[in-house]
Order: sequence, then C-alpha cells, then structure tokens
Amino acid sequence: MAARTGGRFDLGRAATADAAAAVLPVRHVAGVRTIDYAPARLNPQPSRSYYFWMMAPAIVVLAAISLYPFFWLVWMSLHNVEVGAGPDTFVGFANFERLFTRDRKFWNGWSLLLQYSAMCLSLQIVLGVLLAVILNGSRYEKILVTVILMPMMMAPVIAGLVWYYLYNSTFGWYHWLLQSAGILGETSIVGSTSTAMLGLVIVDVWQWTPLITLITLAGMKRVPRDQLEANMVDGAGELRNFFAIVLPNLYPFLLIAILLRFMDNFRFIDVALTLTGGGPADATNILPVYLFDVSFQYFKLGRGAAIALTLLLVTILLGMLLVRLFEGPQSRRADMGSEG
Amino acid sequence: MASVRIANVWKYYGKTVAVKDLNIDCPDGQFLSVLGPSGCGKSSTLRMLAGLEHISAGDIYFGERRVNDLPPKARDIAMVFENYALYPHKTVFENIANPLRLRGTDGATIERKVRAAAKMLEIEHLLDRKPVELSGGQKQRTAIGRAIVREPQLFLFDEPIAHLDAKLRAHMRGELKLMQRRLGTTMIYVTHDQLEAMSMADRIAVMHEGVLQQFGTPQEIYNQPVNEWVAGFVGEPPMNFLDVEVVDEDGRLCLVHPGFRVAVTAAQQALLRQRLSGREARMGIRPDEVRIATATFPGALEARVRVSEPLGGDMLVDAELAGSRLLVKTRPDFTGGMGAPCWVAFDVERWHLFEKPSGVAYF
Repeated sequence: MAARTGGRFDLGRAATADAAAAVLPVRHVAGVRTIDYAPARLNPQPSRSYYFWMMAPAIVVLAAISLYPFFWLVWMSLHNVEVGAGPDTFVGFANFERLFTRDRKFWNGWSLLLQYSAMCLSLQIVLGVLLAVILNGSRYEKILVTVILMPMMMAPVIAGLVWYYLYNSTFGWYHWLLQSAGILGETSIVGSTSTAMLGLVIVDVWQWTPLITLITLAGMKRVPRDQLEANMVDGAGELRNFFAIVLPNLYPFLLIAILLRFMDNFRFIDVALTLTGGGPADATNILPVYLFDVSFQYFKLGRGAAIALTLLLVTILLGMLLVRLFEGPQSRRADMGSEG
Repeated sequence: MASVRIANVWKYYGKTVAVKDLNIDCPDGQFLSVLGPSGCGKSSTLRMLAGLEHISAGDIYFGERRVNDLPPKARDIAMVFENYALYPHKTVFENIANPLRLRGTDGATIERKVRAAAKMLEIEHLLDRKPVELSGGQKQRTAIGRAIVREPQLFLFDEPIAHLDAKLRAHMRGELKLMQRRLGTTMIYVTHDQLEAMSMADRIAVMHEGVLQQFGTPQEIYNQPVNEWVAGFVGEPPMNFLDVEVVDEDGRLCLVHPGFRVAVTAAQQALLRQRLSGREARMGIRPDEVRIATATFPGALEARVRVSEPLGGDMLVDAELAGSRLLVKTRPDFTGGMGAPCWVAFDVERWHLFEKPSGVAYF
C-alpha cells in the first residue's frame, strides 16, 4: 500500500464511519499496521468546571476554618493590636523588626525550641525503633504494644501535672530515685537551669516514643521477607540485614513519624506550661511558651501574631525540607507494592 | 561445586506436615528439578536447602558436609526467588554486587565480576538503573546475576520464571539450561510447570502432598510414570484415564471397556501375570498416542466427536467413547464436526495400566 504520510485527519470529513473507512490513510511501518488519524468524534466526559463545583463546598468550609484565620493572623502581625489599649494601628513590619533586632527572648526561644526538638526527636526515634525491633514478632507483641501505648492516651496537660509531682523535690518519687542514685542533688530536675530542659525532654520521650514504636512496627510488617532472605543467602547476618534491608524499608514510615513529632514539638506548650512555665530563668522558655506569654499574658496580640507567623513559616519550610530529604528513599521504595 | 543429598527429611509447620521422609540424591553438576503443584512441599524443601527453614527431621548434605546447622551465609549457595527479591534502594550493579560486598571482596574484583555476569545476561546497559525501572525479564536477569556472580557451589531457583509472560518464559527456559551447562554448577530448580521441568532438568523429582512420587530423568517420568497421579500431572494435554476390566481370554489378557476389548502386548502380559491383583484397573493413554479418523480402519473403535479445538499446528479432539471422555491430539486436517462419528485406535505399546484403587502402575 502506498504510504500516505501527513498527520491529523480532517475530523469534519470523517463524519460517517462507513464512507470514511474507505479513504482513511493506513500506513505500514516495518511490517506493522500503523494508524495516524484521530477518531471522528470524542465521547463526552465531565468538564473541569464540573469537578470544581463538586469540590466547591469543601473548599468553602476549608477557607472559613483555616484561610480566614490565617489572613487575620497576617493582618494582626502588621498592626499594633493590644487588648484594652485603643484602636489597632497599622505599624508595617515594626512587630517583626522588634523581634528580629531587639528581642533577646525571641532568639532564645528559637534556640531552645531547636534544642528541645532535636533532643526529643533523636531520643524518640532511637528508642522507638529499638522497642519496635524488640517487640516485633514477639509472642506478647499485642499485649505489650497496648501497655506501651498507655502514655499516649494521657492528655498532655495531665502528663505535665503527673510529672510535676513525680519530679517534686520533697515528695516526688522520681526525684527520690534520682537523688538516691546520686544523680541529682536537693534541687528538682526542673528546678535547675542546667537540667530543666532535660526534664521536659524526658516527659515528651515518655509520652511519644510509643507513637514511633507503633509506626515502626507497622512498617516492619511491610518489610518484604524475600529481600531479608535473599540478603541472608547473599551472606548477611542479622545486624547487616537490619541496616541493609529493614532500615531503608522503614524510611517512609519514619518520615511520617518524624514529621508528626517535629510539628507537634513546634506547637508544644502544655507540658512546659504545667511543669516549668518557661523557667527557671527562661531555661525552658521555648518559642511557643514565649508566644503564649506575649499574646495571652501581656496581651500584645500584634507581636504575638508576628511570632506565630514566623513559627508557622519555619515549620512549613522545615517540613518541606524533611519531605525532600526523604523523597529519595521513598521513591526508590515505590516498587515494593508490586514486588510483594 | 557439590553434590546434594537429602536424607529422610521431614518438615513440620506446627502439626502440619509439609515434607514427609524425603530422599533425593543429586550428583555434582546436575540440573535437578523439583516438580509439583502448589502446596506439595517443594518450596519448603528448597528453603531447607537454603537454610531459611529449620529441618524438622533428617539430614541434608552438601558433598560430605552435613549442613543442617549452618546459617544461609555459611552454606555457599545462591538463590533466585520467585519475586526476584531485588533490593529496591540499590542499583542493578549494587544488587548483583551485594553477595561479593558482604564477603569483603575488593572493589576491582567486584567491578570485573559484576560486569562479566551482566555481559553474560545481556543487562550491561541497565547497571545504573533501580529495580523499579526494570521490566519483569530484566528483574529476573538481575536476580540471576546476583546468584551467579559469586560462583557458589549450589544454585537454588524458586520458580524464577513463573511470573514472566509466556513468550519470555519459553526463551528463558533455553537460556537457563544453557547457563547451567556452561557454569557446570549443581542446580536445584523448583517449579509447578511440568514443561519447565521436562525441558530443562537432568533429573526430576515429582512431589505431591509432601511425598516424593517419582525421581528420574524426564523421559522416565514421561514414559514410565510410577502411578496414576504422576501420569496425570506430567504431560500436556493430560493423559486420558478409562476404567477397564482385565479379562483372561483363552490365556490372553485383554482390557475390557464398554467401548472396546483389546488384548495387551506380550511384554505387558508378562508384567501383569506377575502382579495383577484384581479385575478392575485404570487404563491411561496420552492424547497423542490415540489415532483418530473420520472413516473406519482396521481395529478402529467407534466414538463420537464432542468438540474439536484447532491449535494451529495440531487439533485437539474431545471425543466420547462409550460414555468415557477421550482427548485426542491429531493433525489439523481432521474434519469431524461436533457430534459426528469418528473412529479411534490406541497405540497399545504406549498405553499404561494402573492398579485400582491404589493407582500404582502395572506398566
């Protein structure tokens, strides 16, 4: 057959199928019958606006509960909003300027928050994964997981209060324990500037390590057994198997855990308020606590909004960074479903 | 390289028995196929050989060495898994290099050996890819590369080509056989596909319900099945079975069926005289050992065509012979239509007779 090149067939002329079939160009390329014309008519499918209107109610609700307050926050951060101090006045970036140039407590809050977060995260990940490894496949796994999960069920404020009493230097049981072991002196762990932060970290680790364990355990169930076995046949022992196969397969699960915990830490306030209130001498005055003080103790809502906005931006940026950091291992893991 | 001896091996999972008193000897350098349907214990056997499962009873020897208590890494084996079990976070190169890395081989040697293996498997151009970017056949080649790169003393293949498409599977059968012959390494190859076992193996161990049914060359398995189950499992299309009676007619033994009365050969008669245990038996004959025609011929039995399936090069005729179903493979020019009469004759040299009800073969 004569090769008739030339691309798109005129849709208008191909209106009747029978008549069109006779004249449609069909080429043969390397022995394969090739079609390079388009169908006469496309079957209708829902338009884009149809999907938009289906989603519209959800978008409206979302806007009302989340976008509106967000823009209000932005507005407040650019104004001098003080409860009971007359009308709000526009001050431009003055709130931010004050924070970044003159507010020592703001920078102190950041530094403490980063330290606090880093300590909590690293301890929780290491302990959580370790616990999961120990628990995984054990005979009592189900019951032990239930027991381990108990701290998570407690309201953070209650956890703070419970630990407040446990840490108490006169009748606190943990204080007595640590004192007897010669680790602590007369002062409570949260009473000294050098150890107060550690006191907070311990509570967070106690309460949230179970979450990491839970997520890791779920992840370990998904580690493909044949990969572990292949690696063993290839010559690996248990420890190498863990680092070469189990851990890479856990990355996406750990990413979720780290993301959750890091964002929680950045808005963390309950335990610090009940346990130390930011003290002693600002040793635990992490940024969210300072934000609380500025907004709801001094009622400088404009400045508070500026702090909140920076906190929000940094949280978003760090979150995106984390996701990108883990994107590599996660995308590599993408074929696991079809493999298993 | 090593011979493999499986001696009185049992495998229990709790109270379930997966493998019962298995005995197999595989000489050095042979291609042994373990064949059976799913759940027959073939994979458990392979996993015990690999050291991935505890051996409940009995012993496994590689050469003279008892390996029961050796972990997988000390057994000097290589295994290809059904799902390839590639490491998704590593490149093809690193997947193949893994067994060498784990043994502390130096970088230059690894580079040389991985490239040599990749060249042999024609995947050199894929070395930088991740498994997710590979097709099924490429993944399978990578898995084989990982197995051969270390030159182990024993290959264990667990249905390695079961998930490839039919055309590629046929191609890989030839390739794997060629590779094993070239490397000369002992190979134990588990499969449920009798075609794979028949076409590749030196020896086949047929397993069913945890028990070794027959152990022999592909020809032995095909031509002299030891029981009705093996006869029915091996061969495509499957063997026909007809209930018959063995009748002595003036000193000549005949197989009697409502549709026929045919004497056995002299050699078959000699075998039957020694062992015949009752009148009832099962006659087995493969579809290509039945002659079929649309007109009668000397010695022909009248039957009826139920349906015929043209397969291109062959024609498969599903016929009815006095109430029994008979599958016949014939030339594509057979013209009998549905319900038409036809005439059939058995190649009596090739038929089989099985004891009833045990199913043990007389011949």
